[in-house]
Amino acid sequence: MEIHLADITMQFPGTRALDGVDVVFRSDEVHGLIGENGAGKSTLVSILGGSLQPSSGTIAVDGRTVRFGSPQDALSQGIAHVSQEGSLVPGLTGAENILLGIEPRRIGGMIRASTLKAQAAALLAKWFPQVDIDLGCPVGELPMADRKVIEIVRALRGSARIVILDEPTATLPAREKEQLWAIIRTLPDRGVGVVLISHFLSEIKALSHRITVLRDGRRICTESADALDEQMLVDMMLRRSGSGPQRKFEEAAQASRGEVVLDIRDWRVGRLHVPSFTLHAGEIVGLIGLTGAGHFGFARSLHSPSGVRCAGLTVGGRPVKPGPPAHMQAAGIALVPDHRMEYALIGEWTLRENLAMVHPGHAAIGAGILSPGWEEAESRRIMRLLNVKAHSSGQLLRTLSGGNKQKISIGKWLYGADGRYRVMIFIEPTEGVDIGAKAEIYAEMRRLAANGVGIVIASSDLLEIEALAHRVIPFHHLRPGPEIPGTGFSESAFIAAISGAAPDTGARRTANSGTPA
Amino acid sequence: MTDTATGSLPSHDRLFGLRKEHVQRYSTLVVLVAMFLVFSISVDRFLTGQNLLNIAQQISMLTIVGAGLTFGFAAREMDLSVGYTVGLAGVLVPLLLVKGVPLPLALLAGLGAGLAVGAANAILVTLVGIPSLIATLAVGSILYGINFLMTGGRAIYGGLDDVYLWLGQGRIAGIPILAFFMLAAVLVAWFVMERTIFGRYIYAVGGNQKAAELSGIRVRKYRAAALVVCSLFAVMAGTLLAARLGSGQPNAGERYLLDGLATVFIGMTMFRPGTATVLGTFFGALFIGVINNGLNLMGMDTYIQAIVKGVIILAAVAVVSRSTKLNLL
Repeated sequence: MEIHLADITMQFPGTRALDGVDVVFRSDEVHGLIGENGAGKSTLVSILGGSLQPSSGTIAVDGRTVRFGSPQDALSQGIAHVSQEGSLVPGLTGAENILLGIEPRRIGGMIRASTLKAQAAALLAKWFPQVDIDLGCPVGELPMADRKVIEIVRALRGSARIVILDEPTATLPAREKEQLWAIIRTLPDRGVGVVLISHFLSEIKALSHRITVLRDGRRICTESADALDEQMLVDMMLRRSGSGPQRKFEEAAQASRGEVVLDIRDWRVGRLHVPSFTLHAGEIVGLIGLTGAGHFGFARSLHSPSGVRCAGLTVGGRPVKPGPPAHMQAAGIALVPDHRMEYALIGEWTLRENLAMVHPGHAAIGAGILSPGWEEAESRRIMRLLNVKAHSSGQLLRTLSGGNKQKISIGKWLYGADGRYRVMIFIEPTEGVDIGAKAEIYAEMRRLAANGVGIVIASSDLLEIEALAHRVIPFHHLRPGPEIPGTGFSESAFIAAISGAAPDTGARRTANSGTPA
Repeated sequence: MTDTATGSLPSHDRLFGLRKEHVQRYSTLVVLVAMFLVFSISVDRFLTGQNLLNIAQQISMLTIVGAGLTFGFAAREMDLSVGYTVGLAGVLVPLLLVKGVPLPLALLAGLGAGLAVGAANAILVTLVGIPSLIATLAVGSILYGINFLMTGGRAIYGGLDDVYLWLGQGRIAGIPILAFFMLAAVLVAWFVMERTIFGRYIYAVGGNQKAAELSGIRVRKYRAAALVVCSLFAVMAGTLLAARLGSGQPNAGERYLLDGLATVFIGMTMFRPGTATVLGTFFGALFIGVINNGLNLMGMDTYIQAIVKGVIILAAVAVVSRSTKLNLL
């Protein structure tokens, strides 16, 4: 089977996620799909899987034009989508998950447990005879790799000819990853093609027959995997803007001479371990990594360290015991979190109330009584400072645009704070923010750093890290890797560092016959 | 406050040339005024000074209970034990008075009982982690039992302090003392909710618990505090209720649960739709008071009144749910 996505364009309000993409997927190959975050990979596979409908372009299955109005339509044409997050029901057994929705039933609707087990086991044996999984065990208790296999078997239970695997190994430990690779490799021989999305270039190289590179919503190339090496892939994925290297190196050098505002020894949360981390006043440190690499978790844990064990923590030179957010804030650490509407703001509140959420006491006349006038004055000051576009401070927060909401989320830590925070943690600071506001937010972060605040940014936007950070710490498998210093780093170095590819010169590794064994 | 330049709004935000926001915010008040006018015209004895004072007296305990519940709702905690907490104070205070305990001490004991119930609810909800809907339902059942155990199921009367009875039945310059209590309770509750850091934090916890926590607000403390305030307002209402009835009756508080919740729900349709506000609750209580009083004067059966009330609560909640997510669990 062959499926041809022809001239696919996807227009979202404000952005064009895909622009005239033309690509053919076949049921006798593993087809790797790579690109940066936002390059359009997810949009493309969502269209292939029927959950998004393109603004223009056609889809043809073996030359017949089809329309996918829903994932069911795609499934009926033999296209199944195994999403990144997983869609298993943790409390049900492997067998129940495999046959979810099509369970064998007795008259009257009772599920036939014995038949169910036998059918599920038969499906597993048919596709992956080499795999041994206890199908009677609730999937929540199985290793991650087994769960992925169960998901894939479920995707294959009908008459799937092409299965989309979105970051299938992102959450797997190394050993389980190898097992899953072996399983993926067997599929094309049995007439099931794979569309594989992965951040791990080595994985893409090792598994794919052909590779398509997307950048800014356009297809850059589709080539046989043998003809490409990792360095070429990195180069193609990147936007060569040229403005990146124009960094202020003096700024970085100066920052590292500032006093230490945060110092950490042996910081452990769950399986995450950071042996040491130091942040200076005026410094901007970027944390990068793939999904599940631990950089977001580390950033979050600096402000809400529940479950943290550590050998030492000092903030602004004073030793601090990890405690709840209120405690860490008192010590001088602030957090501007991702998912602002969930973690930072209250949509039904006015801008003024949102701004005053952290330090309402600034406008207190005494005894915890608030002065509306003072609150108004301070809110206006912050809104002017951050150039928040709103018709009054009494406007409801939910009516603002993403960029202005984010400014309020930052403004919360400036309202009545008066240089109280020595350390500010930003997680995905410009998620869902338009270009103009993005520049203003970057400027504000630089201003804060210039005023002596130490800043940590955890972001999956590598261009953002490149634009702001004085040094960068790549995370890999819940450990910080070798630091990338403030001079001469580039996105390609980042991608190499976080995807485990050999950097720069190591690109020699010739096409090591990445064909499936 | 100066530049409230309202831009021109797209037409779907407007209804008959009015902003939909405003239509919704004040529609319940408009219905209340309309109802008041209809009763004034069609029911003989409705629009008299005496009857209006009656209404004030009738809704005073309900308003006090509602004001307490408003704190709970604002923190997104439900207190379903509130009716039996009213009953608890309503039998405990008269019981102590009958036993010869001086009035100030008996009143303090009532408050102490409220504190105890509130603390129990708070511990179950914030430390043990039982959802408030369930925890307070169970505590309510326990209180129901205690109320009947204390009294042996009988009403307590005779030998009640005159000052105590005066609190519930007396008037100053023709105005029932209960109305003053109601006014004081509403003012205090309004001030705390709208003008203090404490109130702001309670609203924050209810508005977005995760965001509140990540803003350094001690979420448990304020959820607990909201439940304690609920119970304190309830015992105040219970104490006054027994004084008004002139006797302590173990089941007198029961109707304050449903009616109390109704005042808050109706209040949530006004001012800040989807959010419980003290002022909204006050008008909610007035709403219920006017209906009860008007239907009473028309000679309507109490059973019919219950049906009418149920329909109105449904209508109110329907209005709120259509515009905002009403998450109570």
